[in-house]
Amino acid sequence: MTKENVQGAAEEEQQAQSKKGLKKQQKEAEKAAKKAEKQAKLAAEQQEADEDDFAKDRYGICPMVQSQQKLDRALVRVQDLTPEKAEQQIWVRARIHTSRAKGKQCFLVLRHQQFTVQALLAVGERASKQMVKFAANLTKESIIDVEAVVKKVEQKIESCSQQDVELHVERIFVISQSEARLPLQLEDAVRPEGEGDEEGRATVNQDTRLDNRVIDLRTTTSQAIFRLQSGVCQLFRDTLINKGFVEIQTPKIISAASEGGANVFTVSYFKTSAYLAQSPQLYKQMCICADFDKVFCVGPVFRAEDSNTHRHLTEFVGLDIEMAFNYHYHEVIDSITDTMVQIFKGLRDRFQTEIQTVNKQYPSEPFKFLEPTLRLEYKEAVAMLKAAGVEMGDEEDLSTPNEKLLGRLVKEKYDTDFYVLDKYPLAVRPFYTMPDPNNPKYSNSYDMFMRGEEILSGAQRVHDAQLLTERAMHHNIDLEKIKAYIDSFRYGAPPHAGGGIGLERVTMLYLGLHNVRQTSMFPRDPKRLTP
Amino acid sequence: MALRELNSLERFLGLKKPNKYSTQGGKKVPVLQNNNGPALIGLVTIASHLVHEAQRPELLGDSAEQRAVVQQWLEHRVTRLDNSSKEEVKVILKDLNQYLEDKVYLAGNDFTLADILMYYGIHHIVVELAVQEKERYLNITRWFDHIQHYPGVRHHLPPVVVLRNRVYPSGHH
Repeated sequence: MTKENVQGAAEEEQQAQSKKGLKKQQKEAEKAAKKAEKQAKLAAEQQEADEDDFAKDRYGICPMVQSQQKLDRALVRVQDLTPEKAEQQIWVRARIHTSRAKGKQCFLVLRHQQFTVQALLAVGERASKQMVKFAANLTKESIIDVEAVVKKVEQKIESCSQQDVELHVERIFVISQSEARLPLQLEDAVRPEGEGDEEGRATVNQDTRLDNRVIDLRTTTSQAIFRLQSGVCQLFRDTLINKGFVEIQTPKIISAASEGGANVFTVSYFKTSAYLAQSPQLYKQMCICADFDKVFCVGPVFRAEDSNTHRHLTEFVGLDIEMAFNYHYHEVIDSITDTMVQIFKGLRDRFQTEIQTVNKQYPSEPFKFLEPTLRLEYKEAVAMLKAAGVEMGDEEDLSTPNEKLLGRLVKEKYDTDFYVLDKYPLAVRPFYTMPDPNNPKYSNSYDMFMRGEEILSGAQRVHDAQLLTERAMHHNIDLEKIKAYIDSFRYGAPPHAGGGIGLERVTMLYLGLHNVRQTSMFPRDPKRLTP
Repeated sequence: MALRELNSLERFLGLKKPNKYSTQGGKKVPVLQNNNGPALIGLVTIASHLVHEAQRPELLGDSAEQRAVVQQWLEHRVTRLDNSSKEEVKVILKDLNQYLEDKVYLAGNDFTLADILMYYGIHHIVVELAVQEKERYLNITRWFDHIQHYPGVRHHLPPVVVLRNRVYPSGHH
């Protein structure tokens, strides 16, 4: 190529380059211009917004409460929002149950535990457009502080628990924001099963609930169930303390399986192994031999039973009673049944709100009981079942279906959901059960039933070391393993009897629910170890 | 099974001389060898013959319509009820329960052979039902209890216990 050509080519290249460069520059310039325009627009809007937002100070997201200040501010509970507070300006802390914008208004439903109240925020002198928009966009379950005036309403607000008032919001601040996507919707979680099917709306199945237990426990139904359960515990304690019982604590790490070796959890214990207690049975009795006369204990019970049923858990709370008596074990039965009746009465009288709340989602018949408690003998029960067409042996144990049928027959005949079955056949009871003095095939043992399901198994215990040894050998139990237990009866032991109930099962049956996992906060079963 | 039914039927009808039956085929279909002609084969055929022999034609129905309904149930017994599977039994019970809602007997207002043979045929199912199921199929239970107490019907079959009162509330089912 000639110099000129080269030059020419170079020039061309340069020109080409500068053309490209020009184009590039042009594009960049355009982009920059657009960006600047946009920013200017936003800034203008923001200014506009700020300018028009006269309510800027009355809403927003609070910085995380790190105990920065001590505010002398009284927060009213949702359940206390009644017509008595009409026209008062108060602060409320609650969760956002729902929020719905309708034009220039925003309707919020605020919730605290079982109680809900409607709140209203409307564009006007006190609230700006931006404030209402802010409220409508708040995520469900967020915890907010609201300052509002309580107003009486003409028409009852059926969908809320506080039906006679509504809140007119003055200020609204977010204390803790919730993520937008919830693992389950609370409205779905309280919807009755049938209604879900009929209207094609969602209900939440049990596994989802249990996997997201923290949210499930916020529902009105769950709140009610566990408050009632707390009541059962309290009534149990109060009634027994009033009867002169002493509360004891028994060890849960033990050296020998108490109810028979099959269903016990083993734990490693330093260089050896130990078991988790299946019941406080042996220790309750040792306390009686230690002269405590009347004892009870509330504590966990561990059963390694691979039963996946509606009423079995691997860990549950046992409420156990043991009592020395004078001459007849019926003294103990009477004491236990009276305790149960006091519990039923206490629940009926003090927890009606909770019972009604649960019934809204899980309808059931109110729990019925007789005073004094109905007591049938095992032989009578067998006769009733046979009369209803069931084929069974006189000394056969009751199968679950037969127990349930018996419950129905007893309900129909005596109109009670709670009764005692006395004098079980000896062969089907544990080795420490005292045999019947008049008939060696039967025993001084009893079961108690609620709505046809067993809630308590109890008996007069063998308090004689020799007889106990015989019975243990008869059941092929390794005497070495229960040496300490048998020894406790060698130095004078009073005649005694007792029994234990499961807290979760009693709550479930009292409320007429159908799965014990509903009444266990964080249930444990063969398939579930979390949460 | 069918032979025992026929024997019971004979006793109900008051036939003095019991017949000798044989069976044929894998399904043990009953056969009655007649001196006067071809053999009678089949439960329904033989049963109808016995009714005529006992001079109780009303047991097969009084009117043309009733006769047709009786035949319908006899046919139902041998074609659907016998050898039905577990799922089919549920459907059969549901349908029968609905049918019996406003009837005392299966065909019209009188006791007929349809009631007898359906009772024999359904007994093995009803005897196994739990109390709750017997209450669910309330009309079948009522009809069944009525037939099993009818004089002379229940010979070879054990009585089924029927409770006087409902023990399951009606919402239970």
